[in-house]
Amino acid sequence: MEIVEAAGIRVAVVAGACVGPDFERALEVDLRIAGDGARFSTAGVADPVACGVRLARLLGEARAKELILAGRTVDAPTALRLGLVTRVVPGSALGATAQALTEQLRALPPLALAAARDAVRATRDLTPREALGLEHEHFRRLIATRDHKAAVAAFFERRDAAFTGE
Amino acid sequence: MGANAHTRWWTEGPVGTIVLDNPPMNVLSDENRRGIREALAEFRDAGARAVVLTGAGERAFCGGADLKEEEELTAETVGKFLKAGDETFRALREYDRPIVAAVNGWAMGGGLVLALWCDVRVGSTRAKLGAVGVKVGLMASNVQLSRLLFESRARDLLLTGRTVEADEAHRLGLLSSVVAPETLMDEATAWARDIAARPPDLVAALKRAVNTALDPAAAPSRR
Repeated sequence: MEIVEAAGIRVAVVAGACVGPDFERALEVDLRIAGDGARFSTAGVADPVACGVRLARLLGEARAKELILAGRTVDAPTALRLGLVTRVVPGSALGATAQALTEQLRALPPLALAAARDAVRATRDLTPREALGLEHEHFRRLIATRDHKAAVAAFFERRDAAFTGE
Repeated sequence: MGANAHTRWWTEGPVGTIVLDNPPMNVLSDENRRGIREALAEFRDAGARAVVLTGAGERAFCGGADLKEEEELTAETVGKFLKAGDETFRALREYDRPIVAAVNGWAMGGGLVLALWCDVRVGSTRAKLGAVGVKVGLMASNVQLSRLLFESRARDLLLTGRTVEADEAHRLGLLSSVVAPETLMDEATAWARDIAARPPDLVAALKRAVNTALDPAAAPSRR
């Protein structure tokens, strides 16, 4: 397993076995993609209870229990069905897929990207009113940014925008 | 039955239907926001038991905010803009009859928010969902996707802003069925009629209960 980072977003790229400490590291990053030969197991994780909590938030209760209680190894299609990874490609295409994903992330406006990353994690602990309040706070800040204006201008001119993080 | 420049609505038996008609992309206008609220009030008086919401044409369900309108927002007017959107979304969410979104094409940005605040979504094979807020340097549908999906998949859609085609949306649970474009309204109306055939007080209680089931405020420790 390799962890790559682009524009502050960490992506776990899983080609083969993702077990124990690797599995724990994979749960901490923002996105997970895999090759079709990847295998996942919670066996040998240092803190199984923390893993269970993290999995419940990432996948929901049913899928978290499916993974953590029996400690079975799951293959890539199963990991995709559970949502543990959100993309599976042939192993030979994994490097190029990871490359394309990081380029895609780097092409996005960095402030909006960071805001989305932070807001998703915060939202589940908030009431709907609080969560909407947080979203509106981000929206008010982001709408005044140069990058938002650049994105709108590029949209109307049918070209790619270049963002500066301002 | 009613209409304004960008919205049409009517009832047929127990089902009310609202059509967003602001071609080509059905971007969400003030007329749409007002029309949705007016239609729901009229449906309530008429005793409608379920509602279908869709977009005119085959290209879009709703293209989201009008970027030209959004571009002109200032620090003073942005609050009003957010409030107007919120009032409409809340009208759908808190309406005591279920609302079925018939997603006939693009649902992106604020248009995705609109679809996600409905209670059931059915789509045509042309349905395309996009949490595109991040692509234009903004934030949208974060609250809804975080509720409807769990964190792993919500983050995938929100961080990349990628397009989700009808089949994938069905697998993720964001669409409850996918049918050919020419049968979409029949499919949505069948869902609405099934809902309308059940005891209305029970249906209203179920919608309320599921809406709040995952709220931290509903947990005993926060009561």
